[in-house]
Amino acid sequence: MREATLGRLASIFLRIGNLTFGGGEPTIAALQRELVTKRDWLTPEQYALAYCLARITPGTNILAFCAGIAWAILGWRGALACVVAATVPSAILVVLLTRVLGAWANDPFASTILSAILAAAVGLMLASAWLLVRPQLKRAAWPRAVALVAVSFLASWKLGLSPIVVLGLGALIGFLWHPGGEKA
Amino acid sequence: MNAVVLYLFLLKATLTSFSGLTSLPMVRNDLVVHRHVLTDRELNTAVAAGRTAPGPNGGYIVSVGYFVDGIPGACAGWLAMITPAFLIIPLVQYLGARAERARVRSAIRAVLLAGAGLLLASTVPLAREAVTGSFTVAVTGVSVALLLFTRLDTIWLIAAAALAGFLRALAW
Repeated sequence: MREATLGRLASIFLRIGNLTFGGGEPTIAALQRELVTKRDWLTPEQYALAYCLARITPGTNILAFCAGIAWAILGWRGALACVVAATVPSAILVVLLTRVLGAWANDPFASTILSAILAAAVGLMLASAWLLVRPQLKRAAWPRAVALVAVSFLASWKLGLSPIVVLGLGALIGFLWHPGGEKA
Repeated sequence: MNAVVLYLFLLKATLTSFSGLTSLPMVRNDLVVHRHVLTDRELNTAVAAGRTAPGPNGGYIVSVGYFVDGIPGACAGWLAMITPAFLIIPLVQYLGARAERARVRSAIRAVLLAGAGLLLASTVPLAREAVTGSFTVAVTGVSVALLLFTRLDTIWLIAAAALAGFLRALAW
């Protein structure tokens, strides 16, 4: 087993952060394989703690997860180097894609293609909302889950409440109305 | 809008979201509804660009920044995307035990659900802009089905939608 250095660690995040498609779960699985199983730079316990805490850290969970495990291995400079390595190349790619998609908007032929892509993006958002809700429907607390989603939807769409207010109310409701007897 | 102000707006959105696209309602509220520096169509294009590129989800923020203020805006978006990630470090250090408390976990889950509700609400105007006929309805429907019932990578879905659009443009 080779020792963890800043360069070796950053290069792992560079590869996995920018080449993994499909979002969080595949990336997390790939990092576990590289850092816990193959290299032993991280204990399974440290990995699990970062995995849980990443879910309650604001922003993109996978980036918080990267920062958390890189910090556990090499401290602050590790966290900074790894988050930069995991995001800069894909951010550049996003800008290039934006230019391509933006330039297409005025061409009738290309705008038909673009409208199909945009419709798929709407599908992505619907599926993403469902994937957020689904794990919580399996529990006995499903009426609470459905109520929270419906109330938040209506508060935003019909009443025009600011997202920050809706999320704050959600947190308060969750804190006060917590599913009894559940230990999960 | 200058890049610093844009950074603060986008940071507000990323700091108050907990998963993928849940920052989108805040971005839309600030930049589309109140400041008028972004259109729904641009926001929608940003979502497509963000999800087509490999790498971390939430990359659409970079594209939003680019639409508002070019390259400086894209840098502001990138910074807003990565800034909250470092909050996990004090959490890992000090707050590990607290997340085990039932009430705290319950509050976190409730925020996640509220985020899903917000995401649905912000899908409505985007769908009005993008889903305009039987063809786009079909694309949206097939997309949802593929994402929920297969392990297909997002990139292939976007590519397939582009191909479908291309074939339709040819057929006209």
